[in-house]
Amino acid sequence: MSKGYMGKVLWVDLGSGRIREEKIPERVYAQFLSGMGLAAYLLYRRIPAGADPLGPENILGFVSGLLTGTGSLFTGRWMVVGKSPLTGGWGDANCGGNLSPAIKHCGYDAILFKGIAHKPVYLLIDKGRAVLKDASKVWGLDTVVAEEKLKELAGGRRFRVACIGPAGEKQSLLAGIANDGGRMAARSGLGAVMGAKKLKALVLGGAQRIKCHDVKTVKALSQACNEAVQFMLPFPPSPILAYFGTLLRALPAQPNTDLMLFHTVFNLMLKKWGTASLNQFLIELGDSPIKNWKGSNEDFGPDKSASLRPEAFSDCMIVKYHCYSCPLGCGGICRQAGQLNESHKPEYETVLALGGLCLNEDPESIFILNDMLNRAGMDTISVGGTVAFAIECCEQGILTPRDVDGLDLAWGNSRAIIALVEKMIQREGIGDLLADGVKVASQKIGKGSEAFAIHAGGQELAMHDGRFDPGFALHNCVEPTPGRHTIGSQLYYELFQLWEQVEKLPAPDLLYLKRSKYQPDKEKATAAAACSQFVNVMNGAGGCLYAALLGPKRFPLFQWLNAATGWDHAPEDYLQMGARIQTIRQAFNVKHGIEPKSVKMTNRALGRPPLTAGANKGRTINIERMIRDYWEAFGWDAETGEPSPEVLNQLGFKI
Amino acid sequence: MAYSITDKCIGCSLCKKVCPVDCIQGERNKYHKVDEARCIDCGACGKICPQASVLDQDKRLCTRIRFRKNWPKPQIHVDKCMSCKICIDICPVACLALAYTPETSDTQGYPVLDVPQNCIGCELCAVDCPVDAITMQAGDVQAES
Repeated sequence: MSKGYMGKVLWVDLGSGRIREEKIPERVYAQFLSGMGLAAYLLYRRIPAGADPLGPENILGFVSGLLTGTGSLFTGRWMVVGKSPLTGGWGDANCGGNLSPAIKHCGYDAILFKGIAHKPVYLLIDKGRAVLKDASKVWGLDTVVAEEKLKELAGGRRFRVACIGPAGEKQSLLAGIANDGGRMAARSGLGAVMGAKKLKALVLGGAQRIKCHDVKTVKALSQACNEAVQFMLPFPPSPILAYFGTLLRALPAQPNTDLMLFHTVFNLMLKKWGTASLNQFLIELGDSPIKNWKGSNEDFGPDKSASLRPEAFSDCMIVKYHCYSCPLGCGGICRQAGQLNESHKPEYETVLALGGLCLNEDPESIFILNDMLNRAGMDTISVGGTVAFAIECCEQGILTPRDVDGLDLAWGNSRAIIALVEKMIQREGIGDLLADGVKVASQKIGKGSEAFAIHAGGQELAMHDGRFDPGFALHNCVEPTPGRHTIGSQLYYELFQLWEQVEKLPAPDLLYLKRSKYQPDKEKATAAAACSQFVNVMNGAGGCLYAALLGPKRFPLFQWLNAATGWDHAPEDYLQMGARIQTIRQAFNVKHGIEPKSVKMTNRALGRPPLTAGANKGRTINIERMIRDYWEAFGWDAETGEPSPEVLNQLGFKI
Repeated sequence: MAYSITDKCIGCSLCKKVCPVDCIQGERNKYHKVDEARCIDCGACGKICPQASVLDQDKRLCTRIRFRKNWPKPQIHVDKCMSCKICIDICPVACLALAYTPETSDTQGYPVLDVPQNCIGCELCAVDCPVDAITMQAGDVQAES
C-alpha cells in the first residue's frame, strides 16, 4: 500500500561486509513516522548501553522523511543519526541538499551502518544493487572534490553523494557530513563517527518511484503553499531591517509575530537574502551573541556589522540554491573575485559564529572560512565557538603566543582566525587541542577556561541568545541533543502557530512586556514541549524548519501527512507521535548513562553573571524552574527528567 | 504495477539497452523478461520494441515510436516553475539540469533539457511536478508512418 514511506531499511555491516534489508512493520510508521522517529525506534533498541561512539557498536544512520518525494514541498531534508561522540548521548544532524529523495529512490527509508571497515570504503547503490567499494582513491580528498570524483567513478551526474572530508577522517568531534557541494549535516560530531567507521561516502543512484496515498490532494496543498511563498513585495535595503531590530530592542513591550506580519516578512527576507537577512537584524535585536557571549550589540553596532550586512553575501550570488522540493530557495552559490571560485553562500550562523562572536568584521574571510569548513566537512557553528574560546584564552593569558604556534590570535584578526581554523582542520599544533570543541579543550587547558567554554552538554551553542529569548536557553538544556537552536524557543512557538490547529495549546498575547518572557510558568512549558513535539514530527516527515517558521499556511504539515498516508489524524495525534519520539530519545540518553539533570549550559550564556551593557543587560535565566516545568509537561520525573517505564508503556513503547 | 513483455518477443535486446534501471533480463534471440519489482513504468521499452510485444502497467499494448527524436520531450514553463528541482531529481537518465546565467543579475535558475538525446520520454518530470510547470511535447510521429 502506498503511504509515502518505502517500508524497509538497509543495514550495512562494515566489519563483515554483509548488507541486508529489513522490512519495517507498518505499526512502526504509525507510531513513529519515518525519518528521525524511525531512527529513534531502531537505535534505542540496537545500540547497546556503553557503546563507544567511535567504536563498532555505534550505528550511523542516514534517514529520509515520510513526505520526501510525495509531491509535498519543503520536505527535502535528511538526517544523520547515531550516538554522539561530542555529547555522549543521542546525536543527530539535519541537512538539506539532494540526498533525501535519493535514499528513498534506492528503495529505503534509511541506510544504517554498524561495525568498522578494515580499510576506507564507500557505499554505492546503483540499479538495485548495494556494494561496498574501495575508497582509497578518494580518502583524503575534500568534500567538494570527493563528491565530483565519486560521481565520475559511479557513472555521472545522476548520483547523489554524502561524504566526509578531512575533519571526519581525522575524527574531529566537530566534523559533519556534506552533500551537494557544501550543505552540511554538521552537529553532534557524527562526521567523526563516519570517519571512525572508515566510511568515506554514500553514493546513491536509485530510480524507484516514491508513491503515496492521495497524490492529488498532496499536490493541491503544494500549489496553495507555492502561491503563498511566491508572493513578493519590493523589500527595502537591509539597513532598514537592521534599524527595525534597533527599534524592537528599544521598546519595553514585544509585539507578537502575528502583529508584525512576520510570517510574510520572514518569507520575503528569506527569498531576497536567505538567512543572511538576519545578519544585522538579530544583532540589533539582541539575539546574536557577541565576543564569545560576553559582548553585546554595543561591541558590534551597525557601523561594524555593516560589513556583514545581507548584501555583502547576496550581491556576489550567481544563482539561488534550492534544496530538493523547496519553492523558496534561501541558499545560494556565490562567485567572489579573489580567492574563491564558486562556493555556497555563508549562512547566518556561519557569519555570526566566525564574525560577531569573534568580533571579525571581514566578510571576505567569512567566505574563505565557510568554503574551507564546507570542504573540510566541519561544523561552522562549533568551529566559530571554539575559535572565540581560544581568542579569549589568549586575551586572558591562559594560552600564550607560543601555545598557539605564534599566531596573533586576537578579536577581529581575521588572518589569524583563518590560520587557526586551518590548523583545526588538519589537527596540527594547537589545532589538535581545539578540533574536538570547547568542552574537551577547556578540560585539558583548565585554569578557569571552563567558565568561557560556551556549550550545553558538550555541544557549542548556536547564534541565538537565551538571554534574549529564554526559550533558546531551555531547549539548549533539555533537548536530548543539547545545544541546538533548531527546535524551539518562544519566538519559534509564535511562528509555528500551533494553537491555531490544536485547541488546548496556549495562544500568546498580541503584545506583551518583555520582562514576562523571563518568568517561568506552566504555559511556557506547554509551549516548549509543543515545539519539541512538532519539530520531531517535522523531522519524521523530512520537513524544513524555515518552512515551519513561515506558518501553517505555507507549511500544512499535518494535512500533507494525512494525504500522503491515508491516515485521518488530528494535529494532536501527530504531536503525540512527537512526544513519543522525544521520550524515546530521552530514554536513549538515560540508557547511555546521561542523567538529564547533569546536562549543564555554561553560566555565562544564562546571564550568570548578567551582562552589564547592551540589549540583554541585567538579564538572567531561571533555567532550573523552566527545565523542571518542561519535564513535567512530558510526564517525566520532575527531579531527574527521566521517563518512567509507565510513561513509555503509555506511549506504546515497551523497554 | 509494471510493464511486461509478451511471447512475441524476439530477443533483440533493444528494450534491455534502453531500460534506465536495468530491470530487463534476457539473452540475445531469447525471450526477455521485466523484473516487475524494479520497473519504474518509464515506458522506454514500449516505445522502442519493434515487435509490439510490450504491455504497459495497465496491460495495454505499447506503440512503437521508431526514432528517438520523435519521443515526447518535456517543455518547461518558467512562468510556473518554482525551481524546486523535483523534475531534475526524478529523471531516471539525468537529462535535466539547472541552468542559470552567471553574467546577469537574474539569479533564479530553471531546469533545462540539456541532454535531449538521453531523454526517454518517460514523462515522470511532468507527472511529478507539483505545479504542472512541465508539459510533454510529442515528436513528429506522423512522419514515422
